[in-house]
Amino acid sequence: MRIAVCAPQVPFVRGGAEILTQNLVDQLRRREHEAELVTIPFKWYPRARVLTEALLWRLADLEESEGRPIDLVIATKFPSYAVRHPNKVVWLIHQFRQAYEMDGTPLGQFGPDPFDRATRRAIHRLDQVGLGESQKLFAISQNVAMRLRTGNGLEAEVLRPPPQQLDYRCEEYGDFVLSVGRLDRAKRVDLLVQAVAVDPRLKAVVVGEGPDGPRLEELVHKLGLEGRLTFAGRVERDELARLYATCLAVFYAPVDEDLGFVPYEAFLSQKPVVSTNDAGGPLEVVSDQKTGLVCEPEPAAVARAVARLASSHDEARAWGRSGMKLAEQASWDNVVDRLLSA
Amino acid sequence: MKVAYFSPLPPERTGIADYSALLLPALRRRLEVEVVRRGARRAPRGTDIALYHVGNNPDAHGWIVAALRRRQGVVVLHDFVLHHLVAGLTLGRGDTDAYLDAMQRDSGGIGRLIAHGVIDGLLPPVLESRPDEFPLVHSVLDHAGGVIVHSRYVVEKVRQSGFRGPVWRIPHPAWREPDEVQPLPLPRPASVVIGCFGNLNPSKRGPQLLQAFAKLLERHPDALLVLAGGISSRYELELQAAEHGLRLGETVVHLGYLDEGNIWPLLAACDILVSLRWPTMGETSGSVIRALAAGRPLVVSDVGWFSELPEGVAAKVPVGEREVETLAAFLDAIASDEELRRRMGRAAAEYSRQEHDLDRVADLYMAALEEGAGGPAVRDELAGELARAAWDVGLDARSPELDELSTRVRELGVGL
Repeated sequence: MRIAVCAPQVPFVRGGAEILTQNLVDQLRRREHEAELVTIPFKWYPRARVLTEALLWRLADLEESEGRPIDLVIATKFPSYAVRHPNKVVWLIHQFRQAYEMDGTPLGQFGPDPFDRATRRAIHRLDQVGLGESQKLFAISQNVAMRLRTGNGLEAEVLRPPPQQLDYRCEEYGDFVLSVGRLDRAKRVDLLVQAVAVDPRLKAVVVGEGPDGPRLEELVHKLGLEGRLTFAGRVERDELARLYATCLAVFYAPVDEDLGFVPYEAFLSQKPVVSTNDAGGPLEVVSDQKTGLVCEPEPAAVARAVARLASSHDEARAWGRSGMKLAEQASWDNVVDRLLSA
Repeated sequence: MKVAYFSPLPPERTGIADYSALLLPALRRRLEVEVVRRGARRAPRGTDIALYHVGNNPDAHGWIVAALRRRQGVVVLHDFVLHHLVAGLTLGRGDTDAYLDAMQRDSGGIGRLIAHGVIDGLLPPVLESRPDEFPLVHSVLDHAGGVIVHSRYVVEKVRQSGFRGPVWRIPHPAWREPDEVQPLPLPRPASVVIGCFGNLNPSKRGPQLLQAFAKLLERHPDALLVLAGGISSRYELELQAAEHGLRLGETVVHLGYLDEGNIWPLLAACDILVSLRWPTMGETSGSVIRALAAGRPLVVSDVGWFSELPEGVAAKVPVGEREVETLAAFLDAIASDEELRRRMGRAAAEYSRQEHDLDRVADLYMAALEEGAGGPAVRDELAGELARAAWDVGLDARSPELDELSTRVRELGVGL
């Protein structure tokens, strides 16, 4: 089949969604499909710019290319699902969350004035059209599917993506907690920073880049945590695998995250995950005292959770291994079969 | 966001006053709402959008239509056919020119000619003969920035009338049945009680109901028909009943206007509720909404909004030659089968919870008002950005490429 995988691209930004869509293309190609990643740059501000960006997708003609039909379009996240195609399937990574559950919170984008309110409503309408017209709706997690049901009244089948391919292994339960992910406020790395400040025995390594980086570095400096908390920036795949292999546990506590690959990556390295009870999607796989520890989103609670794992490597190992069994169930064969049979 | 709210309110005795009394508290939990005092000429300063409830009663809605003409806003169209309203505001005030203009706007030269005939006494008033053919809805739609309606039927009608602005379908909210309602004591015991609520005007098909009920008595001699609502003449009702061998006060009981406190006990006393219409003005029925909430089996005319009720909830009687026979057959079938009544009642209550839930309705109002208030500015900004980009690459307003652009924008529901 000729398949176009559609995903918007924020220039110079690469995160889990970009890895996922590229992996999907690779997996389709491995199965001898002619697959292509189609992207359009995405900018969601100022004001109604977000609607113009969606319109760009609507104007794209993906019904054929060079005179040959494109058999299937797989759209992934907002606003790529605005694309038109008679055989469109959506594997929803996320909607424009600022227009939904983040509205009215510090993570929201739209203010109380009529213009902003109407822009938000226009996004809802657009979602209703773009998602509603697809042949089949899949969501990457229960959390994403639930938001879709709540916000738009649409039902999606949950289809969990496997994590990226790395040389996953476990070498030891070392003396540091690992945080992996884009540095933005919603990922809440500052919670880990503050937890390290609470307990002088804790150490942490933070992998990733992003707009919240300078603020976090300043926070580390202000709290005098240099030497105990290291910013590793963006690391190569081998180095990431090594960090997973040698850490004590992985911290992952974003605010109401869609899914997040980090828990699966931690599990494949036999490491437990420390998360919080408001993390959303990750809690579908991170269970308290089964595959990690789930605590209140408070620095002291996070510090206690990490300290417990540091003092009980047996628990860390047992929960990490339970997680590994879970992560191994997510397979690309299943994902591709479901997407293509829709 | 602040909303100027124009509506009749209790103690005015109108269905729309009751509607607003129900909706307002839920709306106020979501938005800042300023209720405009009766008779005000325009929306208060500082409000972002005005919401005008429009129905057919000229006394209740005349000042609201006048305010709408001064400031555009979102109109809640409780009826599609507004002939009664417009005739009241024009002919009723001696303004024949305005009636002629309204009829011409509605139906062109023919409309104007018919209006002349009515004014000169050569033709019967359209209001009494065929208002549905001359809805005069443009008198309101021409000033509306957007329209809220309660049914798909009226969405279709509004679109057919040529209105191009946003139309939101928002179901009528349901009243909550009070806890532990005691059935209203009726004059005599009955094997089955059939209720018909609301003003008994000719469009409620009173004669057809009486005739069908007379047929029902042949198989259910202990049945009772309860008519609750205003009538133009008791004598006329007695005559109509007598025509079918029915005696008022015996097999047929007339209770007159019921306040909210008595509606629920009466609903609890009824086994079946009948709500017939023809012609329809595109209205919903407050009594049907209450009957749904109370989980009562329904028999309705198969017209307008009533047709949109699910099959398992209401038996629908087509208007026409076989209307009386069909109605009698439905009443017999439902009266004879207690399990069927239970099933229809459960389906009605469930449908009411899903479709007419007050919080859902208030959420839909909030969405519509937010779109109505800021939508034009958002569309302008989007259009401006697209126009600048088009101009930069050498396209102007006549370029065919722009047709596709506007089609795609409309598809996404953010139409320009």
